[in-house]
Amino acid sequence: MSTINFAAREINFKIVYYGPGMSGKTTNLKWVFGQIPDTRRGDMVSLATEDERTLFFDFLPVDLGEVKGFKTRFHLYTVPGQVFYNASRKLILRGVDGIVFVADSAPNRLRANAESFRNLRENLAEYGLTMDEVPIVLQANKRDLPDALPVEMVQMVIDPDKKYSMFEAVASTGVGVFETLKAVSRLVLSRVATAG
Amino acid sequence: MIEPAIALYGSTFQSVMKTLEELLRESGARYVMLLDRKGFVLAHKEALWAPRPPALDSLATLIAGNAAATQALAKMLGEPRFQEIVHQGEQNGLYVEEIGEVALLTILFDNSAPLGRVKLTAKKAAQALEQLTREAIVTPNKLGIDTDYRDGANALLDELFGN
Repeated sequence: MSTINFAAREINFKIVYYGPGMSGKTTNLKWVFGQIPDTRRGDMVSLATEDERTLFFDFLPVDLGEVKGFKTRFHLYTVPGQVFYNASRKLILRGVDGIVFVADSAPNRLRANAESFRNLRENLAEYGLTMDEVPIVLQANKRDLPDALPVEMVQMVIDPDKKYSMFEAVASTGVGVFETLKAVSRLVLSRVATAG
Repeated sequence: MIEPAIALYGSTFQSVMKTLEELLRESGARYVMLLDRKGFVLAHKEALWAPRPPALDSLATLIAGNAAATQALAKMLGEPRFQEIVHQGEQNGLYVEEIGEVALLTILFDNSAPLGRVKLTAKKAAQALEQLTREAIVTPNKLGIDTDYRDGANALLDELFGN
């Protein structure tokens, strides 16, 4: 759940970008960092290996502005996508308010998408959460690949019942990045407004 | 609700600030900060003589991540928890004490403040803060986060990210 700081009159939400290794989670954050004005964001923190693979997490605070007298902020995180970093991936999910699942559109990453989505379900369960309790949106990234799979096929292996909204993206050029972030933010705000 | 929200305000917030002020004075530290386990700053206090602190958001996020990783390590080694986290450099040090299940107390100090004194005063403050943070756990509908708030925030999303 959100954290409310009455002294600073702030409400903070935590959004986590999840998905298989190299699917473009960090690229999403880098685009947001590069596009929104300096005054509306803080520093981006990246804990990455020398070859720029996320080791622990990336972090970017975004200021939405003031609503009903409260500064509203979204803290964006990515998890390390590689399978063997699961212990640290699990830690980042603590206190999550919303999730963006970034799937890779490449044909040879179909199985990795499915495995990562299953891993998300397992890691949420460790916090006593089901997929229905956390706002989730899907992003099919790398739509510019010449052999990109149809988006329906990408969704089929992770979400056969089409329960979640799916956004097509090319995160390296910003296509679909803001749309995805807006969609998950709206779900988070709706959830908190109706929570009791 | 996904995880309890902590809202510090009114007399609870004043008590937290008083505890942090005492801790700052007695420890001789530069900065003291109370944050939740997710890495959000709940309250902080700086010594008047201290230079400007680094970005608090980034600091809090890294400390919470570090604390979470340390506790995961403890569990893997069969320990229920490691009681404290200490980092010491040539000039500056960082000390983190757990406040119950929900919060972390962080003290940044330089080499004018002995680590022993920092630890001793932190443990005293931690006892007071544990009770105070327990009282500060709330549900969002008590806080005016309602559909008006949601609609206002949605309008800002359009403004920042485009329609």
